[in-house]
Amino acid sequence: MLMHDVRLALRSLKRNPILSTLMIGAIAVGIAASMIAITLYHARSGHPIPWKADTLYAVTMDLRDDDPDQGFSEHPEYPPFQLAYPDAKAVYQSDIPVRSVMMYRAGRVVAPENRNVKPFGATIRVTTADFFQTFDVPFIQGNGWSRADDESPAAVVVLSRFMNDKLFGSANSVGREVTLTGKQFRVVGVIDTWMPQPKYYDLNASSGFDVPEDFFIPFGWMQALKLGPNGNVNCVSKRAKIESFDAFITQDCVWLQFWVEFRKASDRDRYQAFIDNYVSDQKRHGRFPRKLNNRIVNVQTWLDMWDVVGDDSRMQMGLGLVFLVVCVLNTLGLMLAKFLSAAPISGLRRALGASRVDIVRQHLVEVVVVGLLGGFTGLLLTLGGLAALRVLLFSGVLVGSDNPDRVAMVQAMVHMDVPVIALGIALSLLTGVLAGLYPAWRIGRLAPATFLKTQ
Amino acid sequence: MIDMQGISKVFRTDVVQTHALRNFSLRVEPGEFVAITGHSGSGKTTFLNVAGLLEEFDAGHYQLDGQDVSRLTDNQRSRIRNEKIGFIFQGFNLIPDLNIYDNVDAPLHYRRMPGAERHRRITASLERVGLTARMKHIPAQLSGGQQQRAAIARAISGEPRVILADEPTGNLDTTMSNQIMELLQSINAGGTTILMVTHNPELAQKAHRQVHIVDGQIDQIHEFNPLRAAEAAVGASA
Repeated sequence: MLMHDVRLALRSLKRNPILSTLMIGAIAVGIAASMIAITLYHARSGHPIPWKADTLYAVTMDLRDDDPDQGFSEHPEYPPFQLAYPDAKAVYQSDIPVRSVMMYRAGRVVAPENRNVKPFGATIRVTTADFFQTFDVPFIQGNGWSRADDESPAAVVVLSRFMNDKLFGSANSVGREVTLTGKQFRVVGVIDTWMPQPKYYDLNASSGFDVPEDFFIPFGWMQALKLGPNGNVNCVSKRAKIESFDAFITQDCVWLQFWVEFRKASDRDRYQAFIDNYVSDQKRHGRFPRKLNNRIVNVQTWLDMWDVVGDDSRMQMGLGLVFLVVCVLNTLGLMLAKFLSAAPISGLRRALGASRVDIVRQHLVEVVVVGLLGGFTGLLLTLGGLAALRVLLFSGVLVGSDNPDRVAMVQAMVHMDVPVIALGIALSLLTGVLAGLYPAWRIGRLAPATFLKTQ
Repeated sequence: MIDMQGISKVFRTDVVQTHALRNFSLRVEPGEFVAITGHSGSGKTTFLNVAGLLEEFDAGHYQLDGQDVSRLTDNQRSRIRNEKIGFIFQGFNLIPDLNIYDNVDAPLHYRRMPGAERHRRITASLERVGLTARMKHIPAQLSGGQQQRAAIARAISGEPRVILADEPTGNLDTTMSNQIMELLQSINAGGTTILMVTHNPELAQKAHRQVHIVDGQIDQIHEFNPLRAAEAAVGASA
């Protein structure tokens, strides 16, 4: 019976190709508009490290002066999203977390060993040793370094895959030398392509969407090389005076990202108490004038706090869905017109013995077919729309960059994955049924004799 | 076969009530061929629609093939239409985008009949009306007479107990009309009861009885061949 109804549906669509095209087109446009918005939202709203949802935490402390104007972003109730060096250094010593990461991003010119490659600007993550294990960074060659290497500091470097390809042509570079800011570093590891989106561990750049750094060096080089940050620096106290790099790192200026990983979720409360105690102690020295407002939050809360997904994305998705509703209403009108124009045939079928259920089911199958055809057309339009967006919106991200990771990141932002495609198909089915339910019900309610004379 | 007693049917709008059938009583025996005549608006088609369970009625009692059909659900009415009644319309009412084979198949399909049995009945019906060679044609490719024969094939494919024909020759010329009438007579000769609405007095006289309707009531009944009617009734009941 179902195949019979599908055949009837296809015949019905062929019978009135213009109306059918309009219905399929209306659904396709609605699906495409909503799917583009959903794809962008989905790319921004995914959890970058779900397997550590309960153990990986960002640490913040409210170091700001007790001044209402000393706010941050759109959420003055939150403490700054970075720490000052004295505080980061102090709490880094805690053994409550199984791992702690203190880090920041810097940028310097690199002089390649290979004379054929010209010096170029590169991004450097200056970090403590636990970075790689804390964020599950995959290696293709070698490893990271030890905590002892942070202290000395050891002249070791970990390269991104892109940088290894650029400097050493994909060869195993472990043990080879790289010159950074005039200093020779020995390569100890090369990480595989790794691109957590959002780039949750450092929200400084591009609203949380950026590629990881090219070089990773031990944190001790911060002081040894006087390597300043290439990101937001906020001096949150009026007492802060920056007369030199050595002075800068002792001031109440926040510029370091700080993350901890716990063995078990319950360690978080112990660590919160530890941080609160530390801040209370600092208050006795005249620092941290505000009420205790230290936050230790998991990745999802972190992304929510700092609006990484953003109200714009949510609004775009809302508008996309509203547009889809408008398309559904248009399609409903077109379907009603189409079904009523074919009412004499339905009346005839009723006379021949079709029950009301038979007629409603036959028309519902037709609306499902319309919905699916509209959905598939809509998915094709979505692919086209996303390709256009890649050119129009994200081309600026790619300007001047030869980093394939950056291209991959942009593609990931406008890529429809299987769940989104499945959602699109489900949405098109739902759209078809919503648009066709009333017309199908209405046609099923018609008395069979009504149209027989006019057939 | 058909036993209507005191049937009334009123069409209502916000401002007017139209009594299409008034206290209408008629008994049709199995195997009978009854012509229904009357002026336009007299209630002929309404009677046929009520008899064919296409319309409900407001008062009275109706037994079809011994079954009280006064208070059936929509599904039950559909099933009885499908199994016991065949319809033939003035405008043929073939589904335009289906070929003749599929048109004849339509009522059998709603009976959920197995494919092989459907095929047997379709080919037998088309053979009976002489359209086997045209079974893959769509209605628009056939003449009026051929289309009406296809409609008759569809009506008889379900082997109904009664055929309701609403001016089946109304759109045909005399020659075609006579051919269709002969076909209906031969079907009736096989024991199928036929009620035929017609404006054509010559065709009406070929029936066993003519029932003339005026203002929703039976005005006159002419018995042209009561002997044949009685034989048919006896034959059918035997």
